[in-house]
Amino acid sequence: MRLIHWFFAGAALAFADSNTDGVAVLASKCQQCHNQQMQMGGVRLSSTADLTTHRDRVLTAIAYTGKVKMPPIGKLSAEDSKLLSTWVAAGATFPTGGPATAKAPTWWAFQAPVRPVGANIDHLIKVKLQEKGLKPAAPADKLTLIRRATFDLHGLPPSKPEIEAFLNDSGSDAYSKLVDKLLGSPRYGEKWGKHWLDLARYGDTSGFEQDPYLLYSWRYRDYVVKSFNDDKPYDRFIKETIAGDELFPEEPEAQQGTGFYTVGTNRDLLYKQEKENRVETLTDFTDTTAGVFLGLTVGCARCHDHKFDPIPQRDYYRLQAVFMPHVKTRVFLHYNGARGYDLNENTRTFRLQELGTQMMALLDPHRKALREATLVTRSPEVALAFHTPDDEKTPEQKKITDQFQKEVEPTDAQVFAVLSKDEQGRLDGIEKKLVAMFKNFQPGPFAPGLTDLSRESPRSFMPPKGGSDGEEVFAGYPTALGGGDISPAPLTAETSHRRKGLAEWIASSDNPLTSRVMVNRIWQYYFGRGLVATSSDFGTRATASNRELLDWLATEFVAQKWSFKAMHRLILNSETYRQSSKPSLKALEIDPDNTLVSYFTRRRLEAEEVRDSILAASGALNLKMGGRPVVPTLATEELYGMSQPLNNAWIVTEDLREHDRRTIYMIARRNFRMPLLEAFDQPEGVLSCSRRDSSTTAPQSLSLLNGRFTLAQAAGLAGKLATEADPVTVAWQRLFGRNPDTFEAERMNKFVAQQTQLLGSKQAALTELARGLFNLNEFLYVE
Amino acid sequence: MTRRELIQGTGKGFAGLALAGMSQAQTNALAKAKNIIYIFNHGGVSHVDTFDPKPILTKQNGSTLPPSFAAGLVTARIDFRKAIMRGSPWEFPRYGSSGLQFSSLFPHLGKHADKLAVIRSCYGDAFDHAPAMFLSCTGSQFPGRPSIGSWAVYGLGSENKNLPSYVVMSDGAMKSGAGAYGAGYLPATHQGTMFRAGQNPVLNLATPAGVSSEAQKETLSLVNDLNRRHYASREDDSTLDARIKAYELAFRMQSEAPGAVDLTSETPATRQLYGLDEPMTADFGRKCLLARRMVERGVRFVQLFFGTNLGDDWDSAHDDLLGSHQKMAKKSDQPIAALLTDLHARGLLDSTLVVWNSEFGRTPLAEGKNGRDHHPYGYSMWMAGAGIKGGRALGATDEFGLRAVEQPKSIHDVNATILRLMGIDHLKLTWRYQGRDQRLTDVHGENEFTQWLLG
Repeated sequence: MRLIHWFFAGAALAFADSNTDGVAVLASKCQQCHNQQMQMGGVRLSSTADLTTHRDRVLTAIAYTGKVKMPPIGKLSAEDSKLLSTWVAAGATFPTGGPATAKAPTWWAFQAPVRPVGANIDHLIKVKLQEKGLKPAAPADKLTLIRRATFDLHGLPPSKPEIEAFLNDSGSDAYSKLVDKLLGSPRYGEKWGKHWLDLARYGDTSGFEQDPYLLYSWRYRDYVVKSFNDDKPYDRFIKETIAGDELFPEEPEAQQGTGFYTVGTNRDLLYKQEKENRVETLTDFTDTTAGVFLGLTVGCARCHDHKFDPIPQRDYYRLQAVFMPHVKTRVFLHYNGARGYDLNENTRTFRLQELGTQMMALLDPHRKALREATLVTRSPEVALAFHTPDDEKTPEQKKITDQFQKEVEPTDAQVFAVLSKDEQGRLDGIEKKLVAMFKNFQPGPFAPGLTDLSRESPRSFMPPKGGSDGEEVFAGYPTALGGGDISPAPLTAETSHRRKGLAEWIASSDNPLTSRVMVNRIWQYYFGRGLVATSSDFGTRATASNRELLDWLATEFVAQKWSFKAMHRLILNSETYRQSSKPSLKALEIDPDNTLVSYFTRRRLEAEEVRDSILAASGALNLKMGGRPVVPTLATEELYGMSQPLNNAWIVTEDLREHDRRTIYMIARRNFRMPLLEAFDQPEGVLSCSRRDSSTTAPQSLSLLNGRFTLAQAAGLAGKLATEADPVTVAWQRLFGRNPDTFEAERMNKFVAQQTQLLGSKQAALTELARGLFNLNEFLYVE
Repeated sequence: MTRRELIQGTGKGFAGLALAGMSQAQTNALAKAKNIIYIFNHGGVSHVDTFDPKPILTKQNGSTLPPSFAAGLVTARIDFRKAIMRGSPWEFPRYGSSGLQFSSLFPHLGKHADKLAVIRSCYGDAFDHAPAMFLSCTGSQFPGRPSIGSWAVYGLGSENKNLPSYVVMSDGAMKSGAGAYGAGYLPATHQGTMFRAGQNPVLNLATPAGVSSEAQKETLSLVNDLNRRHYASREDDSTLDARIKAYELAFRMQSEAPGAVDLTSETPATRQLYGLDEPMTADFGRKCLLARRMVERGVRFVQLFFGTNLGDDWDSAHDDLLGSHQKMAKKSDQPIAALLTDLHARGLLDSTLVVWNSEFGRTPLAEGKNGRDHHPYGYSMWMAGAGIKGGRALGATDEFGLRAVEQPKSIHDVNATILRLMGIDHLKLTWRYQGRDQRLTDVHGENEFTQWLLG
């Protein structure tokens, strides 16, 4: 297999004469992007001849005085600059043994991770802390720990019995047992699946004016939840995502992974946009794949060589070529079921056309008669306007018909009222047939997916330059990571095997980025920021706060067969994770971003957690999993501005119990987010989101304080408190998992008394209590 | 937000962040605009019936275009090779002492002709509404990028802590959805806040039904007391303090916002000026008057989306050019003129930029018997206030009004100019996302025309 193989120039390792220093600077600072394989900006610096050609450009660029400044990530040190410029000015003679023709990558993230021997998380954290004279924070107490771990793994607060069981378990393994139990619950996949769906820019509609439904997106959502719950190894998950169709042709379950490429924004249903849509789609596939799996911002190289990273424009189109032959498809989850569904659908549509025709024949004469009956009572101009076909109407006639449309056009009720008994019977018959058509109706066994149209692909070219056609390029791997083209598929193959090649290359344990990027994401979801803060950008401007730890985690992830749950166990059982969120004064002073993790970083609940926790506290939460997206009731003012009429765009789910399901199952419209979730920084789902905002705004407070949802759940909780002897204590326990202290209890009791007086009933006062408690920082933050 | 960001005052929702953007990007001493009122005409206004007179269309009414002109143009419904030219049904008088020519649809605006700088050479490449709206408002045909209002408030911050710094008003449904005023990858605090009709312009501003204001105060006081007690042992974390303050701000917003939208204090003369008592002008007149009140209160960026796909819209020009444009002009002409009069009278026009734009123009060719189709290849907009020298037109489309040919200006050029007028260098106002320092103008905006506007 074509993996990463570096070309070491023997000469570069054994310089012995006075030129050595200048060459060393060239090798470490320039040749990563300007070598035999990669000539960024059209510049190669591999030989004396090259350096003679580009002499002035090089000297100006490293002086940082002209428009082009090199190296792009920062000026050379004065010493290096002098060494290099002296050497170049003196004729750029390479030492004996010949010029260096290529360089191993000097950028750390492109080199294989180096595993620190005998290390673990706590050790590697402490080494860094000691360097700065910091100490880890004290261990968190048990209540804090169960709340933290439950939110981090489930996105929900622990229940009262769960807390009690944990607090009463004095065994030394109580905590590790808790972690195991949490990882075994299906709530885990709902929480961690959501992280992935952020990256996958998941949505149930496709955006733009009509924002049409992606009818089977939810299968992908369910596939992701299940994959996390099953602890599907990440290398396997990558293969299913990028090339499930090519690698697992007999496993429709696995092919669902390719839904990753179909659940984003698209213009498939816009008019005359087919060509542009194809280009945008390819761009989205390329950028999202590189960013999510490799932490590479290849999008920068779409129009020119990357300005900072060794990614030439050519590489962009080589990567894009991987997706060139793709077509969106439906994965048949059960072959016979899918074919049967299509056949039924076919018959059903024919029957619908027949019944529709019958209905029109039955009703239209009455509609027309009623219309005419009204028109005879109007002026001849109005009647004429209505009698003129639409495309022949004058503007005045158009105005008239617009104005009188409502009065003249009979309603359905008016039409039904004039039907004869016989006609009524026929209409009833049609209705019965319509109902019967949907007997045992289920959504089809389809999942959205991707495949290739055939083994052959349209050709790929660089963009045209200076009036001439762009160079043809072939699907392949980034040059800086070893390069090489993807082998063509066998002649008998049904697809191009390009995605197969890419998937295997990314999912390989030899790829220096794949495991690093994922363990860094995992770390970020726990500690608020990754060891590399830009978690979808591992390019040359990315720095690691603790590279040894990153590399240790990356190699451990591979050693643990890419098991997410193994990584969770490691992290959650570490002392680092179990620290309290109380920083030392020194930490605040010298490491205010807590990049070294000398304490646990308190975090605000994410949008979904806010909503789910309120449902859990009120007792309404419905834990049913999976299925079609739920459309909950919203207030009219919350739905303001929806781009389509509400009877199309917000088709409320009939069963109210469904409305209380976890937020991951609520519909994710591309053009409209639920206001509460929007206020709490739920991403738009348009671009891949690698790290959510955690803002603090007044509209957020208004939404949680005055919103319809809070009020309804507060009333629900108050209902549960009504029969309690000590409602304030019970309320406090339900929300915070602990008993209120004296101050808190007194304050609440005083509040309930006052509100009972003001509002006239204890029930109303308890509702107010619940509404207030939902707005407390103790509720909204994980310690 | 990290603690450090907060400690340093660079946290989201704080002026510090905006200051960081500003110090980098605010460079232009010429800039006079402190505020902006951006009137976005939803649906596509026909340029050849408003600000770009083309008498040849009347002369050659009914004939097809010369093939060389039709080649290469595509739009939603019509075929440029087959459709026939249609002359404008409106006159194009010369207005003001400048004699600026625009159509008789805007008699009230005519009185302000000497304040208007018309750009007749705008062009884009998106002929569907949503992509064209995203392009105009965010610089990209795809949703997900920050809108110009978000960029502006990110760069300049707010002058009123009790009101949002970027206020949006619309007529209801928009073909772009909320993406046209979204914050994209910028912090969410920079997104446009939709102001609705009625006493409570911000969603959830009103105390819930059945809760008296005393009861609400009690509940807020409970929240405050318990939050402060919680904070007492966590004073190192200023995010917690910020949230406590957010409730105080929410409370102040509850008291200030209804006042900001309460028009009862306006004089009868003002009501009459904006046409608040006429059914045709009442709605948009109210929005224009609210825009002035927002600017008075220091709201940085006010955007009015005029028209809706579920009601009156410029886009009804598909099959009824006359009716749609007459109606939309009638609804907005007097209010917009009133806004200019009012801002001028209050001495606000010099520091307020007023922008009038649309996602595209409409075809000089007929669609069906009575319509015009979408046309992004050449269209018009205007700007006024903020020191702009009016009574002039920049650039031109070709003789048929098809393509911007003289001084063509892309939406990036327009957006670069708007930012510059607000004192922001569009090249320097950036946000790192996906490895790039992203800009509103992407890699474009090289043909900004601030100097021309300021004369």
